[in-house]
Amino acid sequence: MASSSSSGLTFKLHPLVIVNISDHYTRIKSQSLPPSTTPHAPSASNVADAESSSPPQQSPRVFGCVIGVQRGRTVEIFNSFELLFDPLTHSLDRAFLEKKQELYKKVFPNFYILGWYSTGSDAQESDMLIHRALMDINESPVFVLLNPSINPAQKDLPVTIFESELHVIDGIPQLIFVRSGYTIETVEAERISIDHVAHLKPSDGGSAATQLAAHLTGIHSAIKMLNSRIRGLHHYLLAMQKGDVPVENSLLRQVSSLLRRLPAIESEKFQDDFLMEYNDTLLISYLAMFTNCSSTMNELVDKFNTAYDRQSRRGGRSAFI
Amino acid sequence: MNLNMNSVETLVAQIHGLSGSISDINQLHSLLKQSEDLFQSESTRLAPLLTELDPFMHSLGYLYILDACTSAPISKEQASELVLSIARFINLCAAEQIRLAPDKFTSVCKRFKDQVMLLEDPMQGVAPMLTAIRKLQLSSEHLTTLHPDFLLFCLLAKCYKPGLSILEDDIFDVDQPRDFFLYCYYGGMICIGQKKFSKALELLHNVVTAPMSILNAIVVEAYKKYILVSLIHVGQFSISFPKYTSSVAQRNLKNFSQPYLELANSYGAGKISELELCVQAHNEKFEFDKNLGLVKQVVSCMYKRNIQRLTQTYLTLSLQDIANTVQLNSAKEAEMHVLQMIQDGEIYATINQKDGMVRFLEDPEQYKTCEMIERIDSSIQRIMMLSRKLTDMDEQLSCDPLYLAKVSL
Repeated sequence: MASSSSSGLTFKLHPLVIVNISDHYTRIKSQSLPPSTTPHAPSASNVADAESSSPPQQSPRVFGCVIGVQRGRTVEIFNSFELLFDPLTHSLDRAFLEKKQELYKKVFPNFYILGWYSTGSDAQESDMLIHRALMDINESPVFVLLNPSINPAQKDLPVTIFESELHVIDGIPQLIFVRSGYTIETVEAERISIDHVAHLKPSDGGSAATQLAAHLTGIHSAIKMLNSRIRGLHHYLLAMQKGDVPVENSLLRQVSSLLRRLPAIESEKFQDDFLMEYNDTLLISYLAMFTNCSSTMNELVDKFNTAYDRQSRRGGRSAFI
Repeated sequence: MNLNMNSVETLVAQIHGLSGSISDINQLHSLLKQSEDLFQSESTRLAPLLTELDPFMHSLGYLYILDACTSAPISKEQASELVLSIARFINLCAAEQIRLAPDKFTSVCKRFKDQVMLLEDPMQGVAPMLTAIRKLQLSSEHLTTLHPDFLLFCLLAKCYKPGLSILEDDIFDVDQPRDFFLYCYYGGMICIGQKKFSKALELLHNVVTAPMSILNAIVVEAYKKYILVSLIHVGQFSISFPKYTSSVAQRNLKNFSQPYLELANSYGAGKISELELCVQAHNEKFEFDKNLGLVKQVVSCMYKRNIQRLTQTYLTLSLQDIANTVQLNSAKEAEMHVLQMIQDGEIYATINQKDGMVRFLEDPEQYKTCEMIERIDSSIQRIMMLSRKLTDMDEQLSCDPLYLAKVSL
């Protein structure tokens, strides 16, 4: 299924589509989980365990349609909507699709159905049937696949775009899926709203404290990543110096141009202002720690007085027998 | 008797044999504990045995025998030798071994202290006592019974530097409350001697506000010094106690320190003449408490305080005016005072000698430098550690049965 596409089309994906697909998947997944079962007795045998209901381990697949605009060789996928999958006929609900298509046409006259989406780790054979079914609406539909499993090591988006091509395999011309590259394209308004939606916390939306904490955590992780990247680069340059790694002039040129761009500002006044502001922030944290400590100390002293002072000054209540 | 001596010999042999590994030493320790009365009965004849033992390898055995030796009454001639031998032992002994028998070690050191006092040469006791403390302490935050003895030596020998180095450590564990009181009191006196008034104030404050169920003499004396040091360092004294003071102290301390409280009152009024009158009136009491030196410092501080108050009202002032306001005798004296204060860093000013005017300036510290950042950073680290300790103590106290009994209904 792999090889890369040769059709020469450039794909542009809007983040709204990604958020839509992941939202759809999350909703379906959380709706399909059964209510939590009561804990088994410790003496339950393996058989009993196997018989008891357990939540389905495989993740449900969701399906839908993607719409957008095709201008020349550029395919821009703007939006998406959900569709029901009929497992008996292995096809998408056609009537619903056409109704939705009409509605969307009224609002966005430029948008056409460009293809469909689903979730999973890789494209499967059965997907080709759905793909063929859509070929009467769009002669070359695209298939957007979202991989819902979270892989912390993975740096890229778990989204793949497949096209279909006619290849000759074993003498029989067959349609197979081929991967295509894509870029993310966005408009300012879309970026702001997606950002907002993506950072929404499950609790009451965040008081000032949690928002500040979230903001600082973001900055912290960004700085950590910067630190690790610089360290990696430094390590590599050291190895180059020692001779373990062959000298690569283009890399050295890039590094030196980067270094020449720093520092951005270097002057007496900047140093003064910077240090003063840094000191102010440190003093504020110091003050905050002081307050924190004093309040802990205050509580400690109160507890100590209640416990150990023979006559408490507050006229404390004695146990009424 | 011979039988006993033989068993002592066997014990010595066992000390030699069992001073190898940790398990051996534990075994030796229990053996020694069992043979305590044997040691007691043979105390007079144990001295020559000490020469057979090595203070480093066989510290535990050496300690037991030394303890038994010193429990007998010592004559004056023997005292100086004994002092030297105990000092040698303290310098050479192994810390892990003596930590197994801390009370024995403490009693040996106490006798050492008594002998040194008898000899009236406290200088001899300073260094060995410091080594003894460092070996006995489980951590630098642990207050042992030896701390106040050490500080007493420092005070009597007038060598304050080692005392100050011990006072730098923060204390979190205390063995005996009496040690704590004495430690803080002596420590306060050492700091007063070195003119480190803020540390002295902190230590004396600890004595006054320490938890106690009945009043003791140490606290009364400490309170008197506390009033005086507070007047010198801060310039004022408030009668109200902080809320963590024990109720016993709050009710009774004032009765014992009347003259000092009157002194504090007249200081607050701000007139030198009244202050001098007050000092005159209670002169014998101050002398009896050996606080006369401090009282004199209080009086001289009065001038400083008044000059400092002037900086808040005037930008420039002539030396003659200063002398008049502060009730000094002449402009020359005023100039001397101001100069001294500028050198000590207590005020920021420039003296214009041509027309005798003093200009008061602002604190030139801009708080913009990297050193300032490092200082604040280290303070933040310290306070974070303190905060962690406080939360631990808070949790411990919340589980204390006494507290839970009082809180639940």
